[in-house]
Order: sequence, then structure tokens, then C-alpha cells
Amino acid sequence: MSSNGRGTVEARDLVLSFGATPALRGASLAAAAGEIVAVMGPSGSGKSTLLHCLAGILVPTSGEVWFDGRRVDTMPEARRSGLRRDHFGFVFQFGQLVPELTAEENVALPLLLAGVRRPAALTRVRGWFSRLGLDGLEQRRSGELSGGQAQRVALARALVTKPQVVFADEPTGSLDSLAGEQVMDLLVAAAREQGTTVILVTHEPRVAAYADREVIVRDGRSTVPATVATSS
Amino acid sequence: MIRFGLRLAVASGREALTRLLTIAVAVALGVGLLLATVAAVNAVSVQYGRFGWMNPRPAGASATNPATDPAWWLHRGDYFGGQTIERIDVAAIGPGSPVPPGIPRLPGPGEFYASPALQALLASTPAPQLAHRFAGHEVGTIGPAALPSPDSLVVIVGRTPDELARVPDARRVTDLATTGSAIPVAALDLVLSVVAGGLLFPVLIFIGTATRLTAARREQRFAAMRLIGATPRQISVIAAVESTVAAGAGTALGFGLFLLLRPGLATIPFTGLRFHPSDLSLHPLLVVLIVLGVPAGAAVASRTALRRVHLTPLGVVRAVTPRPPRAYRLLPLLLGVGELAYFIGRRPETSNGQVAAFLPGFLLMMVGLIAAGPWLTMVGARLLARHSHRPDTLIAARRLADNPRTAFRAISGVVLALFVTSVAIGVITTIVANRGSQGSAARATTLSKQFTTEPTAGYEAVVAEVRSTPGVRSVTIVRRNPAAGAAGSLPGVAVCADLARAFEYGRCTDGVAVAQVWSDLIGFRASPGPTRLWPAAPLSLDEVQRLPVQSIVVGTDGSTPAIERARTVLELAYPDYRIAPATEDDFNSAFRSQLAGFQQLANVLIVASLPIAGCSLALSVAGGLSERKRPFSLLRLSGVPLRVLRRVVALESAVPLLAVSVVAIGAGLVAAQLFLRAQMDYTFRPPGLAYYAIVGAGLLASLGVIAATLPLLERITGPETARNG
Repeated sequence: MSSNGRGTVEARDLVLSFGATPALRGASLAAAAGEIVAVMGPSGSGKSTLLHCLAGILVPTSGEVWFDGRRVDTMPEARRSGLRRDHFGFVFQFGQLVPELTAEENVALPLLLAGVRRPAALTRVRGWFSRLGLDGLEQRRSGELSGGQAQRVALARALVTKPQVVFADEPTGSLDSLAGEQVMDLLVAAAREQGTTVILVTHEPRVAAYADREVIVRDGRSTVPATVATSS
Repeated sequence: MIRFGLRLAVASGREALTRLLTIAVAVALGVGLLLATVAAVNAVSVQYGRFGWMNPRPAGASATNPATDPAWWLHRGDYFGGQTIERIDVAAIGPGSPVPPGIPRLPGPGEFYASPALQALLASTPAPQLAHRFAGHEVGTIGPAALPSPDSLVVIVGRTPDELARVPDARRVTDLATTGSAIPVAALDLVLSVVAGGLLFPVLIFIGTATRLTAARREQRFAAMRLIGATPRQISVIAAVESTVAAGAGTALGFGLFLLLRPGLATIPFTGLRFHPSDLSLHPLLVVLIVLGVPAGAAVASRTALRRVHLTPLGVVRAVTPRPPRAYRLLPLLLGVGELAYFIGRRPETSNGQVAAFLPGFLLMMVGLIAAGPWLTMVGARLLARHSHRPDTLIAARRLADNPRTAFRAISGVVLALFVTSVAIGVITTIVANRGSQGSAARATTLSKQFTTEPTAGYEAVVAEVRSTPGVRSVTIVRRNPAAGAAGSLPGVAVCADLARAFEYGRCTDGVAVAQVWSDLIGFRASPGPTRLWPAAPLSLDEVQRLPVQSIVVGTDGSTPAIERARTVLELAYPDYRIAPATEDDFNSAFRSQLAGFQQLANVLIVASLPIAGCSLALSVAGGLSERKRPFSLLRLSGVPLRVLRRVVALESAVPLLAVSVVAIGAGLVAAQLFLRAQMDYTFRPPGLAYYAIVGAGLLASLGVIAATLPLLERITGPETARNG
């Protein structure tokens, strides 16, 4: 049994290869509930793969992944999908909004997937628009939003269900520095307010500076050993 | 740049070659079907044209050949076993008398030429049932140039000029048109337009879709080329070369496919008759048009497709949401319905007038369905989006509402096929129900010889001979009713003693000597049977004997030998008949075979167009998936179950397919109802189970095609898509 706090995640000695190419060679990471951890490293170092394993998107060849005391890597795909849907939120670099839906429908999508009726879901998401400075953009489609606006909409979508963990993979990678800072300010503020754990993959030190702690991944190994208060 | 484009198309690795082959195979299928359709339409026209020489214009009506000797000419329809025999009696008046196609000379008196199918029938049938009708001996075979079909039963019988000069319906002719049409040209053109439209449209859509295959992947490649400095014009040339090479190869393969299909296609009797394979020919101009047009069209389509996206060195930017279709698109459909409705109670008198009245209505409705489809798709999708609570329905509805033209294009072939099939089956079902349901046995077993003038030969001997024919149950002489035309009266009268033997048609009230009857003892839309009471006629037996003979009605056991032997006796007794002795089913045989032909055509239409439309649908679904693989893969990563995405894809195709199919079927049945009311005064009868089975099978097959694309969704939305973009 691993940690028991709400929102704790831990990866232990993960190994994973894509064909003959090793991606993770014993990487470990742990984050306490409400903690913001930045995963840094050069391109191809395995940081995104580590994030995908922590989120239950990929299953490591060996090693263990834990979330709130539950072993994730041995769960069947359907349960891992459920975990991602119900407890995790995701922010990616770009292209994550459904182009057919309006901004507010994109934000409401996780609620609709959870079975919330549409009027109720739309009511719940409206508060996020003023909070993220997106007032008046509710009816816009993704093609009608700037990169920063689209990323803030994606952020709202990741946070609307009050997830226990948000996984953010290069969330500012396609933005200019000002828009990137706005997105990070909002992400950190909302996470702190909701007590959400954030695993943040980035190669930008300026972005990593928002985190409580940094973990460096190089050649598939985490070079800064993880420590977590609630770890067994 | 052209050479570079060629090298990219054929020699830049396995993916490029696969792409080239995929497009070429798809274009080959489309071109093969296009050629088959055009050739089939041409074959129908040629087939009808081969009836033309049988009905030449009388001498004097045409001044094209004034120096030629005339010939006497009499064309009549005869019957055998429910098939029509085209019988032409001829007599040369001079050495220059015109000779029909397919024979070297006019037959002399006592000679006849027969078509191969008739020769086979003559050889396998006892002479008293058939051969005796053509007094004399066979002198040769009528060649294919004169035969609408290899199965045509045609006989050209030689007579003396004196014999034919006495026959009121014989004509002097000097010019035999070897081309022409037995039915009005306008009618033929319009019927063929409807059929060709129904078949060609899905084929053209398919070719168009095929040339846009793998467009998304291609656009990414072009964006990369822009990054390294290629100009938009160079990209345009490369794209055009790639499409042209693939379409050119596909066109060549398509011609090969057509030549393979042609012999099999000729055996499908969708006009009721098989075709000569050589009739499935292509006009040289059309060949040139297709050889040049398809690759050129592909080049233009590829250029147009590139103009819809903005290729930047950093990637592909889709054009903004296209302008939504407007409600005026409903106008042609409504006009078509209105046009057909207008003619209820206003049916034109002539065939040409009827054709001109109704067929444009059908064509308008077909055009109207294609025009209205995107608007209907958009309205339906918007309604769905407004009321949906599930994310899958919402995403699908929004996508449909955003670009209803693309969504509808993929299913438009199915829609047209369903419309044409619904009209055809609706009309056929109602006609069969109205014409064939009552007294069908008597209509097939009763031979009736109608006289337009008083028979010159003594009919008593003829009646006695017919009575002695095995299988004949009754022979009844029907005379003209002097009271015919008065309210409630029937056209003929017959002696009740004779009618007692023909009890299967009706009976006289006890004590009545003479009764009023129908001239064929069956009647129009009547129910013959032993319980039917013939109304009495106030005539004595002596008075009846002095009335002119209207018909001789022969009741048989329904066997072919009985009917054909009796028919031969009657034809030999009255050789100058205008209308051959026939059962009602014989009269209807040509019509029945035409109905069967239309049914076949409807089946061919649905069977041919559904797979084509299904392929277009599959390509369209795959294209849509490819465009959205990144957002879909990210949704999957976020925990959206695959089944939700599957439902999105299925709904995007199935909803317009099912919704617009309902509209097409409804429009088809409404068109059939309006036509039946206006033209035939029939009440529409719903089609039978077979129709629903065909439509259901077609729709299921289309849904199957959609389902077959779903595994692609799982493959292209895996985590690696999110990682690699």
C-alpha cells in the first residue's frame, strides 16, 4: 500500500520502451496532495512518457504507479479511463479543444460526460469564464480563439470537475511569454484554491518556477529523487 | 516541377505508392461503373431504336426516297406462351421495294424469315401450336441488325400484294427507317435521364471522393514543402500532377473493368429484354471526354481542395466554417411536388403530353432532394444540437450543422437511389394490385378473338374446330348488344345455352334465353365467377342470330398447348386480323415485362448505387476521422471512453443517412402517389415486404460500412497521436 492522501500520486522505478527505444529506465516521482511538481528535462528525455504513466495513459513494463493508495498500472483500461475522467484533469500544449463545440461547451464536456444535464453543466461553467478572463467568449469556436484564450479554455475544462490531480504537458509551449504567464498564474491559483495536485511537464525554467518542487528527468531516469510526506 | 511531382507520386516510397494505388483503384471502380451506366443507357436507346424499322412511315408521308418501289407492309403483335411475337407481313411491289435490316431480300409469298429465338421456339413446338400460323417455309434467319434483343421473337412473312392490299391496316411503304424509336423520343430521353441521373450521381460523387482520398496527409506534406521554400504555385502543380497520375491510371483500369463487366451486363434484362453485348457501346466522343475529363477533373478537384485550406509553412489551417445553406434550397423539391399535383384531374391526352407533364416533375424532385439535402441535414442537426444532453450527440450534431454539404454529399447517392426505387416500386405495386388481383385465373386461360368488322368466313366451322381442340372447355359467340352505351348495359349479348357451358364466367337467371355480357366474358376491373349473374337482354334467339359477331371467347384449361392450338386455328381462319386472339395476360405481357424491367432497373439502381454510396460514405468517415485525430486522441487521454467517440462518428454518418433516407423514401412514395392519381386514377398501395427488405438491406449495408471504419478510430487516436501531433 502506498500513500493515502487525496490527490497523491507516485511512480516507482518505471521502465517502458517504445519498440527498441527505451523511454523510461527506472524513473520515479511522487507528489503530495495539493503539491505542484514540475518535471523538467531535455526533449526526448522521457518526461511526457512519465506523465502519461502517472496518468494511467500508458502502462509501464515494470514498476508501480499509485494514486491515493490505489495501484493504477495494474488496473484494466476501463478503470484507468474512469480514473482519468473522474479524478484527473489534463492540459496539453495545443489542439485539445473539440473544434465543433463552442468554448463553453468544451469546458462543459467533462460534466456532460459525467451525466450532468446540459443546462446545469453550462451554468456551472459560466463562473470559470469570468474567473479566467474569458468573458464574452463563451460562444466562440476554437478556431475563433487566440492561442492563449484556447489554452485558458482548456484549463477551465481541466479544472471544472474539481479534479484531484491536473496533468499539464507543456501547457505554455505554444504561447508567447505573456500568455504563458497568464495561463500559469491561473493554473496555479486555481490549483491552490481547490487543493489540486499539479504535475507539470515543461522544459522552461520560468514555467517550472511556479512549482513547489522540480524533478529532472534525463535518459529515462529521474535524477532528483522523489520524496513525499505521505509515502509509506 | 511536373517531373518532380511525378517522381513524388510514383517513386517516393511505399506510402506514396499505396496512396497512388488506392486513388487509382477507387477511380477505376468509379470510371468502370460510369462507363457501364452510360453504355447501358446507350444500349436501351439502341434497343428501342431497333423497333423503328417495324413501324415505317406510309409512302407519301416521307419524300426521302420517292424513286423506290413501294412494298405492302403489315406489322402486328402475335403471342405465344405469354411472349409477344413481332409479325411483319410484306409483299414486294417492284424490284426496288425496301428490304428490312437483317435479311438479304424480301420473302416471297409462302416464305418467311424468323429470328433465332423464334426459330428455336418453332423447332421445339408442335406445328399446330405455332408454325401453322406462318404459312409457307422458312428461308432464313433474321440478323441481329433487326433484332432489339437476342431473345426477340420476330417473323417476316411473305404475302402477295393482292392479299395485303385487301387488309385495311396494311400500308404501302418506301422507306424503312433503320434507326428511330417505337416510343416517343422525348419520353425515352426523359426516362433515361431519370435513370442515368439516379445511377451517375453516386458514381460521380464516388470519383470525387476518391480523388480527395488521403487529402489531410497530403496537405501536411505540402505544408512541410512550403516550410522549405516551395511556392503556393509549385505546390499546386505538384498536387495536380499527383492527382492526374492517379486518376489517369484509374481511368485506364476503369476501361478494362468496363470491358470485363460488359458481357455480364448485357444479360441483365432491365428493359424486359436482354441486350446484344455490342449494343453496350460508347460514343467515341464520350470515350475522349472520359479519358481527358476524369484526370483533368481530378486535377481541378485537387486544386479546389487546396484552395479550401490555407497551407502555411507552419501547417494547415482549415477555412472558416462555410456559409450555411438557405431555405430556398427546398424550392425545387416543392416545385416538383406541385408540378405533379397540378396534373391530378388534368391529365394530358397524348403520350408525349403525359411524358412532358410527369417526367419533369420527377426530375425536379430528384434535383430538389440533392439541393434540399444539406439544408435538411443542417436543420435536423441544429435541432439535435439544441436538445442534446449527451456529449457524443452534441459533437456529432455540431459537426453536421457546421458543414452539412459535406455530410450530405457522402449519402446523396443513397438518397437518390432510394427515391428512384421508391417511385418505381410504389407505382409497380399499385399497378399490379389494380390490374392483377381479380379473376387472375380467367385472365390467363380465356382466349378472346375480337372482331372490328363482321367476319366474312362462316364462324360455325371455326367454332366447331376450336371446340374439338384438347383442353378447350367452352366456346362462346358474343354479338354486339344493340343497347350498348345505354346506362347499365354491357357491350355484348350471348345465348344462355352457350353461357351455360362457360359457367366459370357467370350464369343466366333461370328462364332467361339471352343475356348481356362483356365482349371477353371477363370485363374491365370485374370479377368473373360462377356466382356472377349476367343481366338479361330483351332479345329473342332469332334476333340474336341476326346481330353482328363481336367476339369469339374460348375458355381453356390454361395449358399452353390448348391456348396456342386454339389461337392458331383462329388466326388461320381470320388471317387478316388486326388484333391477334389473345388472353388478357397476353395483352398485358409486354406491359408486364416492362414492369418487370422497371422493377429490375430499380433493383439494379439500388444494388449498384448503394455499394458505391457506401464506399463514398466510408471514405468520408475516414477523412473526417483523420482530420480530427488529435482532438479525439486528447479526449481519449482525458478519459473519454472510446465508445463515446465511436458514437460521435457513427452519429455523424448514420443520422443524416437515416433522416434524409426517410425524406427520400417519403418523397418517392408521394411522387408515386401523385403520378398514380393523375395518370391512372389509382389509389396508392403501399409496397410489399420485398421493398422494405431491399431498402432495409441497403441501409444496413451502409451502416455496416460506417461500422467498418470504427476500428480506424481506435488506431488513429492512440496516445502516440497526442505525442506526435
